Amino acid sequence: MIVWLALPFIQRAVLAGLILGALLAILGIFVVLRRMAFFSDGIAHASLAGVAVGVLADTNPLFTALGISTILAVIMAWLERKTKVASDAIVGLIFTGGMATGVILLALKSGYQPELVSFLFGNILSIQWSELWLMAVLAALIVAFLLLNYKRLALMVLNPEIAHLSGVPVTLYQTLLYVTVAASAVLGIKMLGVALLSALLIVPVSTAKLIAKSFRSLMLWSVIMSELTVIAGIALSIQLNLPTGAVIVICGLILFLVTLAGSKLFNR
Amino acid sequence: MDAVSVKNLKIRYGSHVVLNGLNFEIEKGNIAAVIGPNGSGKTTLFKALLGLIPYEGEIKIFQKSIKNALKRIAYVPQHFDFDRTLPITVDEFLSFASNGKSINAKEICREVSVDILAEKLIGDLSGGQLQRVLIAQALIKDPDLLFLDEPSAGIDIEGSKAFYDLIKHINKEHDVTILLISHEMSMVSDLADQILCLNRDLVCNGPPREVLTKKVLDKLYGPEMNIREHKHL
Repeated sequence: MIVWLALPFIQRAVLAGLILGALLAILGIFVVLRRMAFFSDGIAHASLAGVAVGVLADTNPLFTALGISTILAVIMAWLERKTKVASDAIVGLIFTGGMATGVILLALKSGYQPELVSFLFGNILSIQWSELWLMAVLAALIVAFLLLNYKRLALMVLNPEIAHLSGVPVTLYQTLLYVTVAASAVLGIKMLGVALLSALLIVPVSTAKLIAKSFRSLMLWSVIMSELTVIAGIALSIQLNLPTGAVIVICGLILFLVTLAGSKLFNR
Repeated sequence: MDAVSVKNLKIRYGSHVVLNGLNFEIEKGNIAAVIGPNGSGKTTLFKALLGLIPYEGEIKIFQKSIKNALKRIAYVPQHFDFDRTLPITVDEFLSFASNGKSINAKEICREVSVDILAEKLIGDLSGGQLQRVLIAQALIKDPDLLFLDEPSAGIDIEGSKAFYDLIKHINKEHDVTILLISHEMSMVSDLADQILCLNRDLVCNGPPREVLTKKVLDKLYGPEMNIREHKHL
């Protein structure tokens, strides 16, 4: 791994992995707390429409996917508030609608579509400096927002009525949470692909829950577990010449199982 | 001075009228109880008074609009559903609710016997303990008006008696006006200064001895309804 680190594309991949690992681990706590794993999955799939727009417009699909998924997140928050349609049905509508639009748009362009494979399974080793910078800035903004507002967000997720009476602007925070999940999901697609993205949102938090004794320690352990998973996944995938996203997910699952076994033994 | 003043309050979901032209006042310092069968609009009334749903008519809290009175209101919900496996300590939960601004949090926790639970996870608490924590989060705001939605649901009879004693204490010692929803008729008749009977319309409004008549209860719950005294040890 140390030798590999001399290569710029590995440096970029490791940096991107560490940034996304921290971001998805912290955000994952709210995703688990609010039981919105299906939302993050849905918005990630729907962002194919944005990827397709980027491909057709001959611009970086990451940028267009970010724009479109943010708009879709705001629409979903609005529909949830203003209509009687159930939340999971709204996610289903956006999920399938976005994917279908993406498939149709991509069909308009002839030839092999490498973006489609990358969208499905990720390709962190192909990340560019411009994408890494965008990731770093967005992740810093989102993590700052989450850390500065985690008490308000947690209260809103636990009980919106109490949050409302405690002065939390619930509608605004709800929409901001959706937008941050959408933007982070799209950033995560670059690393893990849409098929595996939920793993980094859910698995590190689930592992951290096994040992954390408070909300603060849950945040800390989630980040530690996530970073361990990403580093181990990238190193092993290079060593074994296997797809990086999939190896990261398997590393996360192994870490979960080891922690589970350890916590059972320790608590005997 | 009225803590709550409601004029011609009407709430509908689509074409279905849930509350039909309610008019009532709750005097500052009183304990008022809202009773009525399931589906009579009690929780909807609370949501309107808390500014959570749209309504027709006029609601004033301490002679101000709800939005301008929010800082003086606290609320203890009936349901507090959350992922019980998530590690959130009682201390952390209370700091979420007060956002670290409360100056008397420790004192209030001692008063409602929550101080001994500070390091416990909220997912590990019993129904009665959780209810006390919810009361603490409400009192930390130092409110003038407290809403309690079926506060003793899920607590045994003895726990329920202790809980209502706590409500009396909050009302007298902290000078907090209290509006609560309850199904426990005998407790409510002992505790409340004012009863509001709700069944889409306001069926009764007044002191318990005057309004809790067989005629009113028949109208609310049907002729099979009886008030049964709780036996305390």
